Amino acid sequence: MNGTPEGTPERTVRVVIVDDHAIFRSGLKADLDARIDVVGEAGTVDQAIAVIAEARPEVVLLDVHLPGGLGGGGREVISGSATLLGSTSFLALSVSDAAEDVVAVIRAGARGYVTKTISGAEISDAVMRVADGDAVFSPRLAGFVLDAFGTAPADIADDELDRLSARELEVMRLIARGYSYKEVAKELFISIKTVETHVSAVLRKLQLSSRHELTKWAAERRLL
Amino acid sequence: MTTALQRPPLVRSSDRMIAGVCAGLADHLGWPVKYVRLGMVLASFAGGAGVAFYAWLWTMVPTADESARRNARRPASPIAPAVSLPAPVVREAPRGPLPLGPLPDGGAPPFAVPAPAVAAWFRTRRIQYGKEILLGAGLLLVAAILIARQFGVDVPLGTLIPAAAILGGAAIAWMQLDETRRAGLVDKTKADQAGGWVRLAAGLALVVAGVLVMVSGSGSWEQTWLALLASVAVLGGVALVLLPWGLKFWKDLETERAGRVRETERAEIAAHLHDSVLQTLALIQRRAGSEQDVVRLARAQERELRIWLYRDAAKDAGLLADRIKAAAAEVEDTHGHAVDVVTVGDAAMTERHEALVQAAREAMLNAARHGGGTVSVYLESSDAGSEIFIKDRGPGFDPDAVPEDRLGVRESIIGRMKRHGGTAVIASSPDGTEVRLGLKAADTAEARIGEEKP
Repeated sequence: MNGTPEGTPERTVRVVIVDDHAIFRSGLKADLDARIDVVGEAGTVDQAIAVIAEARPEVVLLDVHLPGGLGGGGREVISGSATLLGSTSFLALSVSDAAEDVVAVIRAGARGYVTKTISGAEISDAVMRVADGDAVFSPRLAGFVLDAFGTAPADIADDELDRLSARELEVMRLIARGYSYKEVAKELFISIKTVETHVSAVLRKLQLSSRHELTKWAAERRLL
Repeated sequence: MTTALQRPPLVRSSDRMIAGVCAGLADHLGWPVKYVRLGMVLASFAGGAGVAFYAWLWTMVPTADESARRNARRPASPIAPAVSLPAPVVREAPRGPLPLGPLPDGGAPPFAVPAPAVAAWFRTRRIQYGKEILLGAGLLLVAAILIARQFGVDVPLGTLIPAAAILGGAAIAWMQLDETRRAGLVDKTKADQAGGWVRLAAGLALVVAGVLVMVSGSGSWEQTWLALLASVAVLGGVALVLLPWGLKFWKDLETERAGRVRETERAEIAAHLHDSVLQTLALIQRRAGSEQDVVRLARAQERELRIWLYRDAAKDAGLLADRIKAAAAEVEDTHGHAVDVVTVGDAAMTERHEALVQAAREAMLNAARHGGGTVSVYLESSDAGSEIFIKDRGPGFDPDAVPEDRLGVRESIIGRMKRHGGTAVIASSPDGTEVRLGLKAADTAEARIGEEKP
């Protein structure tokens, strides 16, 4: 969603769609473009883990809210497929605005988060990007990150994981403002690859940071 | 009586020396507080009538808060006409001090009310005045007994006083029940509860004491003690037997109440879904032909549902982020263009923030009108200030080439921000246009000085 297609048109990516609404699954399948090869579908946590283990897709489009399993939703699917994390990437899809839902799947290992309202072409781009090992941030996720890490740049004394660097903050701000990766690169006079590096670094911090605010903030949001 | 109705209602004032009685009375009668207080003190020397009258008003007149709560249920304050006249009468007929606690007054107030008025109350407000009338009748009785004693008639005080104590205690305890019921058993504050317990205990003590004195008859201390011990033992035994049953009853009540709350919540959700989602779905089915209408309906419904689901009840409404979201929703509704809002941080609204919201709204309108695709809005607020970015993906335009008469950009965005000490930058390229609005916190310096004071 945040840029133009990266992969060459010939390349196809094998994808499993996990969502509990059959209508949404079929709609999404119809919307995705030719680069995407849907090799499996699942509607519950247990189904999803089984299908993913069998089909071994490159990317899983994963709804955050799923029935079944222990009630953990998308997070449980990712932890259930932990052995495949090296070869399979997860892209979270959600209608939920609740930060803790999104952050929970990101921290479980998802490579990005997009809202369900974006177009099929944008989702296809995001899938390609995730398949290439990059992270996909929607403006809203960038907003969550800025909210959690604060908008002040890191001091040198701070733990590296607990703060965003000045450059990462700039990138996050631009993404929150609706810039595509390409536009971010142009605005900051850096290459798209560098933007991707920054975004991946932010994703890593979001996943690994034990930052007090991150947990506290998620806990607060849970009270909504 | 007719003039009394136009007066401010008689309530105990919050501007108080003791209980706000004098101030409230002065307010009600339109007299200076000083004179009312002086009169009250003077009347106190006339055999304690002032004190008694004060105590009577203290118990019978509600505070402003209570009165407001009552008026929420019925329009006119009944107390006001009832006690608007007694003050002068007390001075006319001061009485000697009375022996008994629960009946402190000399019976003055009931005398003061003209008979037709009493009849009128009975016709209109029979139930509400029951308490006052009963108290008045009791006081009249006491006064009659006292007068009778002075004339030498032998009154069996040994029987009458305990009986009065029992009646008074029971009345106090029942008053409590009545008030609890009035409060609906639900919205009791802790203070109310504490007051209730005290009242209940006082009532119980009075009744027990009265019964003991009456039963023991003689009033000798040894016998009374024994009887007291025995009655406490009996009471304890009864409590022990009834406690499990009472607890179970209480628990059942709680469960039932919780169930009812859940049921109410479910009904509320169902009602909300019916009014919103189902209506929208029906509309969408009827307008399935028009893609733009369907999208607009779906977006509006989605937004409304999100607000309802994820709304933070604890958060103050009307802060900057909410206002920006509201403006975005308005633009989305009028132009059918998706407007995505991302907010980080929040700020309280001031006049300057109002200008910021208006400028942002104008920028969103422009973006929806001239730009293509989704409009992205990003708000970042911190102690240092607030920034808003409005980005569209339209063909762009040259800000310098905007004609002078186009007030939208020049006046509503740039001019407005400048007038309020903010900044507005418009960056446009063929890929889209971005309006950047900034507003530095003006009062940071002042706030810091203010903090150093204490």
